[in-house]
Amino acid sequence: MTNLTNVLVPTSADDAAAAFGDGSGVTVVAGGTIVMPDIKLGRLCPERTLYLGRAGLDRIERSGGMCRIGAATPVSALVDGAPEPLATFAAHVGDREVRGQATIGGNLCAPATATFSRGDLQAPLLTLDARIRSAGSTGERTDSIEDFLAAGPDGRLVLEIEVDEPKRAASASVRRPHAHAYTILAVAAAETAAGIRVAIAGAGPRAVRATSVEQALADGASPEDAGQKALDDVDPQDDAIASGNYRRQVLPALVTRALGDLS
Amino acid sequence: MKAVGARLPRYDGVGHVTGRTRFVDDVRIPGTLWAKALRSPHPHAGIKRLDTSKAEKHPGVHAVITHKDVPRNVYGHLEALGVPADEPLLADDDVRYKGQPIAVVAAEDEATALEAVELIEVEFEEREPVFDIRKAYDADAKPFHQWGPAFPHFGPYASRRIRKGDVDDAFERADVIVQGVYRPQAIEQLPIEPQVGLSVPEPDGRLTIYSCTQAMYFSMGVVAAHLEWPLNKLKFVGGTVGGGFGGKVDTATETITALLALKANRPVKWRWTREEEFLCSSTRAPWHMELADAVTSDGWLLGRKMITLHDAGAYTRFSSYGVTKHSFHHTGAYTIPNLRFDGYVIYTNRSPTSAMRGFGVTSVSYAVEIHMNRIAETLGIDPLELRLKNANRIGDLTANRVRLSDPSTVPVVLAAADRIGYELGAEFKQMTSEPRSGDLLPDHLLTSVARDGGAETDGRGA
Amino acid sequence: MRLTVNGIERELSTRPLDTLLNALREELGITSPKAGCQQGGCGACTVLIDGEPRRSCLTPLVAVDGATVTTVEALGEPGNLSPVQAAFYEQYGLQCGFCTPGFVLATTAMLERNANPSREQILEELVGHVCRCTGYVKIVAAVEAAARGDVSEAALEAGATGPSRREPEVLVPGSPA
Repeated sequence: MTNLTNVLVPTSADDAAAAFGDGSGVTVVAGGTIVMPDIKLGRLCPERTLYLGRAGLDRIERSGGMCRIGAATPVSALVDGAPEPLATFAAHVGDREVRGQATIGGNLCAPATATFSRGDLQAPLLTLDARIRSAGSTGERTDSIEDFLAAGPDGRLVLEIEVDEPKRAASASVRRPHAHAYTILAVAAAETAAGIRVAIAGAGPRAVRATSVEQALADGASPEDAGQKALDDVDPQDDAIASGNYRRQVLPALVTRALGDLS
Repeated sequence: MKAVGARLPRYDGVGHVTGRTRFVDDVRIPGTLWAKALRSPHPHAGIKRLDTSKAEKHPGVHAVITHKDVPRNVYGHLEALGVPADEPLLADDDVRYKGQPIAVVAAEDEATALEAVELIEVEFEEREPVFDIRKAYDADAKPFHQWGPAFPHFGPYASRRIRKGDVDDAFERADVIVQGVYRPQAIEQLPIEPQVGLSVPEPDGRLTIYSCTQAMYFSMGVVAAHLEWPLNKLKFVGGTVGGGFGGKVDTATETITALLALKANRPVKWRWTREEEFLCSSTRAPWHMELADAVTSDGWLLGRKMITLHDAGAYTRFSSYGVTKHSFHHTGAYTIPNLRFDGYVIYTNRSPTSAMRGFGVTSVSYAVEIHMNRIAETLGIDPLELRLKNANRIGDLTANRVRLSDPSTVPVVLAAADRIGYELGAEFKQMTSEPRSGDLLPDHLLTSVARDGGAETDGRGA
Repeated sequence: MRLTVNGIERELSTRPLDTLLNALREELGITSPKAGCQQGGCGACTVLIDGEPRRSCLTPLVAVDGATVTTVEALGEPGNLSPVQAAFYEQYGLQCGFCTPGFVLATTAMLERNANPSREQILEELVGHVCRCTGYVKIVAAVEAAARGDVSEAALEAGATGPSRREPEVLVPGSPA
């Protein structure tokens, strides 16, 4: 039974982790942009809710070639305060009001819906070799973004995201000219100490790294030739926003464009 | 005409910018209950069992209604005009579109009402749905509607028919036949205010109904008919509509909140979610239009054959009216003397379709204008000159036998050409709407044009 | 939950995980924020939270404990409209009025940040607000007029009642009405 009264409001990261425990029966609310409509429509019936907005997890710190971002940092703060290509992707999320409310942690953990994918920030985080610090039943731990996405957010409370400051970064996307432009397809590229990484959002339920493209680049391929490899990394799907066929046609060009801008 | 050309302030503007305009959802009556509906999760299914007892016992629930609570469950908007009805207010033994209401709960608040809906037990027997109008009209389609695949009540006919002139002769005389198929799809009207209604039982036994309807007196009649009440027991308060665009012509919430209010003896509000709006509010209809035009190589439209399939969705509502308007406009802004038009209202398992801006006309205008371009392209002549040549002129007779006294095709096309800097031939630049004469009154139009104020000829051919 | 709504401090009994929209409409009877889509997509529920436009339908009440909330009711009233309200009224930046409070609040906050926005900035800032009636042309004209300060005295005083009421309510001098 939905309980709208049982809301825990931790005032520090440690309190938040303690309140979260192993996460069973806990609904986490940060910005609320994803959770609140689901509660309203009865699709989500939280019995115990953890509100993250006062846990001090909304800071961005940049030093020593690293950027540390609290999980409850609003997307709007990333637009000016985060490294590229994260900043550009953040600027494309929702609208002004939604960006002011939605958080990076929520975006990272956003489940895909039946009709479209969410979590646009996953792609730039993949290119920046992000490390996800989270709490849960086994205590605190840090996962690579790839491991975190593969395992899914269940049972984990994201506390902080650490990314490398890139040497250079670029992005390319196709969006609908619409107030709430869910991404049709977006490509992020960045060079960090780990090398050049390329990631694709919008082709499936979550963002993926384009390792074939990265390999081709490492082997000296041109942006055009490397772009063609993107279809080895993803099999774009149909959803309510665009067809898989359209995405297959557009993806190599987007990758090429992003790589062209990178060099 | 004091208002024309003047810059008058909006009478409702101050209320809008100060937040003081009172929309239906803003009306505050103490003790108001919230309604939520159990809607069909299937586009087509039989209802084997329906048990609302657990919902009724749920704390905070004051009333639950099903088809059994509706004095007259099947009633149609056009019934007063002699068009028989087919749509139940609440589903009885079957559901024919996803989102069709089956039972509705009134409870202390929205969340409680939602919980109660979850407690309603219902067993479905899923059936094959039909979504494509063309396939629904195939010879081997399996109709699910009691009236078969198509609405059968256009006077003595099962379709909206237009017969004018001698269309077979026109097609024999034609140099070229130009064909086209046009299929515009459904559109949700999407007013920002969702469907909302509030019914208040009054101590004197009457009902006050706050309604966002675009069609106040229609809705009053519909509520009274379902309730089997005289109109003088209903007080409707409306006129402030948060957008409608045709989507609020149907009576969506008024009757159901009235029944709940009477059963609970409390005011009842029903506000749809945006999801409900998309899922099951009426939309603009999808259409399937097949056109074949008999034309001469110099660009005269001698005749047109047209078949239109209109997607009514699961029930008729205003569909026959929409198809009738559609038929009147099937020659567009042009004069074509020989016509054969058949418009069918087809049933599919989609949410019922209804009015939206230019009900029935936008679809056919789209098809006709694209088709005019296709003709021009086929003949290799200028598309605007083709339009001007065949434009409605004073004295011309329309498809529905209206003698035109003030047609606007010529000045509108000329003005449009001027605005876009489009070069027209000299004889076209000079054109007016004056009655046809000379080269513009060729033999095939002789019987379709009133001449010299003489006896009206109706253009009816052999 | 304690918050300051339109200048008055309130102690609310609405549950903390219920929406701010619900608290405003159902508990406080402040009905200018509208339940248009209740999923953040239309902008009709927009209010100012500590001066920034936010979707009240997406905001759990717990998130605004201690905050200041402003709705369009606090900007001005009939006879004494704010410049943004007056511009929307005068430039016909509204038809049915359902989306208007959200537009007026978002515009007010935008002009606080940027008194002279470009057309592109206006479109970008208001992109989350949906109007199905106007086609936006008049809305953008209203925002531009408000930014320019191009608002008539008559519009600022529109809706006044009593002795100060201006007659007739015609905006263009010499209009035949």
